[in-house]
This record gives sequence, C-alpha cells and structure tokens, in this order.
Amino acid sequence: MVLYRLEKKRLGELIGRLMLDAEVIAPVKKDVVRFLPIAHPEEIHLERNAFFPAKEYFFPQHQTLFQFDGKSFAPVIPKPKKRVFFGLRRCDLTAIRHQDLAFEEVKDPYYETMRKSALLIGYHCPKAPSPYCFCGSLPQIEFFDLMFFDQQTGFLVETGSEKGEQIVREHPELFALTDLPKPDTKIPGADRLHVENIAPLYDHPDWKKGADQCLSCGACTALCPTCYCFEIHDEVSTANPDAGKRSRSWSSCQLPGFTRVAGDHVFRKERDHRFKHRIFHQLEYFKEKHGVPLCVGCGRCIEACPTRIDFVKLLNEMKT
Amino acid sequence: MNPYLPQPYTILEFRRESPDTFTLTIDLKKRHSPGQFVQVSVPGIGEAPISICSDSRSYVKLNIREIGNVTRALAKSKKGGKIWIRGPYGKGYPMKALEGKNLVLIGGGCGVAPLKGVIDYIEHHRSKYRDIHLFLGYRSPEEILFKKELREWKKNYRLEVTIDQNQHGAFCYDAKVGFVTEAINAAVLDPHKSAAFLCGPPVMMKASIDLLKQKGFQEDQIFISAERLMYCALGVCCHCMIRGKFTCVDGPVFRYDEIGAFTHD
Repeated sequence: MVLYRLEKKRLGELIGRLMLDAEVIAPVKKDVVRFLPIAHPEEIHLERNAFFPAKEYFFPQHQTLFQFDGKSFAPVIPKPKKRVFFGLRRCDLTAIRHQDLAFEEVKDPYYETMRKSALLIGYHCPKAPSPYCFCGSLPQIEFFDLMFFDQQTGFLVETGSEKGEQIVREHPELFALTDLPKPDTKIPGADRLHVENIAPLYDHPDWKKGADQCLSCGACTALCPTCYCFEIHDEVSTANPDAGKRSRSWSSCQLPGFTRVAGDHVFRKERDHRFKHRIFHQLEYFKEKHGVPLCVGCGRCIEACPTRIDFVKLLNEMKT
Repeated sequence: MNPYLPQPYTILEFRRESPDTFTLTIDLKKRHSPGQFVQVSVPGIGEAPISICSDSRSYVKLNIREIGNVTRALAKSKKGGKIWIRGPYGKGYPMKALEGKNLVLIGGGCGVAPLKGVIDYIEHHRSKYRDIHLFLGYRSPEEILFKKELREWKKNYRLEVTIDQNQHGAFCYDAKVGFVTEAINAAVLDPHKSAAFLCGPPVMMKASIDLLKQKGFQEDQIFISAERLMYCALGVCCHCMIRGKFTCVDGPVFRYDEIGAFTHD
C-alpha cells in the first residue's frame, strides 16, 4: 500500500487527462445524483452518494445476448469500452466485487467484457452520506484501483492495484508521494445494523410487519447495487418471425411473477415470503456460497422504498 | 464458450403420449444421469427446462406437457426437425449412493417423466437395487403416461397406478380410482434400507412425504425433484433459488432435509 497526495485544485486536471483516452463516469447531479459519462470535470458531484448505483454499466437493465435468424444463434458480445469510474463509495466498490463473484462463477462473457475494461476509483465517505447507511455493520473489503480520501485541501490517494499504480506513474507531476499514515477507514454513522446472524430469525413473525407495507414495486431490487437476478426473453420482428433477438433484463424477486411456473403456480405468493427471501439472499444465502454477504449496506433499498420499509430497523427489533 | 448458447440437434421421433403431452427422442449423445434436465429453446418464443425421461448414451427422450408458450410451440415439432438445446444440467438422483437399497418412486402427472429416467436406469442396472415400488398418480385415464412401458413395469416391479377420477369409465390400465396418497397409505413399505423419490405437484409431494414419515422414513431418505421457474440454468439468474440453493445446479433433485418447506421457499 502506497499513499500519494493530490491537490484538490488539480483534480480537474487529472480527470481531464483521464478523459483523453477513456470515458469517465462519475456521480453527476441531475434530477437525482447518477453515475453518468462526464463532459467536464466540474460536473463531478461528491456531496451525496449516487441515487442509482453503477451496476448498469456492467450489467445493463436490458442486454441482447444473441441474434437469431432461424438457422443460427449469434452471440452479441458488447465491445469493451475503456472506462474510468470515479467517485465510487466503498459500498459500491464492494458491490462490484460481489457481482463479480456471481458472474465469474458461470464465466458470463457479457458481464466479463464490460467489467474487464473498467478502472475503479473510489471516494472514501468522510461520514455516512445517508441516514440509512450501514456499511460499517458488514465486512469491508479493500477493492479499488485507486481510493481517494477527502482531506481539507487535498486528497490522500491510496493505490490498490497495478492499474492504479500505473495511473500514478503516468502523471508524476500530479501525485506526490507522502508518508502520512493511512486514514481510518471506518465511516462514522454507518453501523446501524446490530444483528450479525439472521439465520435464527427465519421463522420470526415480524417479517410480516415489513411485508405488510410492501407495494411490490421492485424499487429496492432495481436500485440495489448487488441485486443481479435476471430473466431472458425472445423478441421477433413482425417482418420475419424467424429472426429476432434473445435478451436479458433485470428482474425482481419482490414481484410475484418471479417464481411463477407454467400452469400459473407461484411459489412465493405471499409478500412476506418474498421480502424474507430478498433479505436472506442478501445477508445469508450468498454468504453460504461465497463467504461474504451480498448486501453492502448502502441503504438504497430503504431510501428508495415508497413506504420506507427499513429492514435494518426491523431486524434490530426482532427478538429471538 | 458462451454458456447461454443453445446447439441444434435432430428430432429422431415424435410420439403423442396423452392428449396434452408428447415425447421427443433427440440425437443428443451427452452423458446424463436420471433427474437431470436440459434447456430447450424455440427461437422467438424462449427457453424452458425439461427433464430427461430416458437413460441412454445415444439419445435423450423428453416428455413435454403443453402448458406454456415454449412447450406449446414444441408440440408442433416433427420427426427429422431441428431442436435447440443446452445442457444437460443439474444434479439428478443419487443412483450410485443408493445401490443395494429398496426404492420407492412416487410420481404425479408429468412428474412421472423424470422418474421414467430412473426406471430406465434401474433396468440397465437391475441387480444393483432391491425391491422397486412405483406409485404413479394421474387425474384421469387419458393422462396416463408411458402406457407402452407400463406393461413391462407391471411385470418387473410393484406398480400402483391411481387416477383421481374415471368419469367415463374409460380403460385405465388397472389403475385404481383415488389419490396416489391412498395407494401409498395402503401399501406395506419397509423404511429400512430404502429411499423414496418423489416428483409431482407440490401439494401431492407434501402429502406423500407426510405419509412416508408416518411409515418411518427419515427426511434424509427422501429425494424430491423440484420444479421452478428458471432462465439461465447455470446458477446465476436466481429465479429457481430455494433457501439459497439453486434448483438448476444444486438440484433439481434435493434430499428433503436440505430444503425443508419447499412449497413456499
């Protein structure tokens, strides 16, 4: 681990240089804060975390997998685009790593192509950016190419990979080596989940309390930086019904159709079963398989919920 | 290799099995074990998981019920035609581990199809298993599957076929009128050195499991084949997840104690 110092006033210069040969994607304030390709470094907005995570750049909401013409299926693999993501919070970086784990397992060529060409630059939250944050209650990993720590007049920049080191090497006049100690990575105000193991809570009656307010809108899963469930559908052109495309799109375990089989049987018919399934997948099932919980504690699913179902509060209040 | 890419195969035979099911024989020569499934594609319509109902190195047979978009489109298949498939996928019944045991096979409706793969396997390895007891339940005589094979099975195994009702008094292959659970209840089953395989509608499986437990079967002697909506069949799209297990890669055959109350999870 090596630390460098970058003057705050020279951030624009760095970003401008990165923009010369890559698309730079950063939080931008529009209707809400979103990760968008920027045209000028001044567009970068670091006061709030993005309302939408960056996952759509690796795992788009809709994506064509194949084109077919009646004789063959032709894979449509996206062209790798050199991209630099700037301003990813620790939760969003961890989320990218967790989605990697899910897609790596099947060697998904669509996800892999989009991911491989991305450089990830983090921005360490000086304090919890939202009252719903709880990343501090979950295991933290160090996963970035570069990490920016916000200091008064400058950024302390930590390198986390060879790709990150290379950026520093290519711009020696911007980065000054420093022997300052690494700042504390604990984010104040982000440890509100007090339950470590939810397995004993499976049969708890209070899941119903949360589910009773659920409108089954799917905002929680759409805004989740880790939710990676998808469905695959075919489309044909009206001119030639033999030709068309097979695409995948995000899907939500919070909707009844998620488990509907032919003959119309729905396995998770009740909202509380679906709600509990989401939380168990996030905090328990993924951990059983990959050793880490899927959830990264960004709190978006709570903030985006039209009825503010706060599963963290609900879990904290469940008595075994 | 793109894991989502289907491959073309030839349909060797199309056989009408019952008014709403048919059996395709396909020149797919990949190793498979009873209980595994394939993803069948109809370009423009989509994909559907179909369990394999045969045991052979030179073909696979798929018994398909016309119940969704893909299966209704497949019903128009013809001998000599092309079919798009990926797989086989999943974990089947643990046939090797259960050698030397009595097997109780309980199937309901088109849930009999994967069990037919088990029966074919047993026929190829008959000396490795002891008593075989088949309980096959259908709603009506018309829905009875594998009628040709039934005569053979009757000779070689203890076979009970039930039909929920026989309104028109149709010929029904010695089937008893009643639920399959009534036949299980009336039968003498020795849980010692035995295992039970179930596949069928969730309600029927639940009731049969309760009966098996009453008869002394432990949960780890019961294997169920689960049906779930699935898209990828690779363990990533998550639609088929039951308590953190993927029906497509960890199943579709599960030991009952591994997934518990599978009816709503």
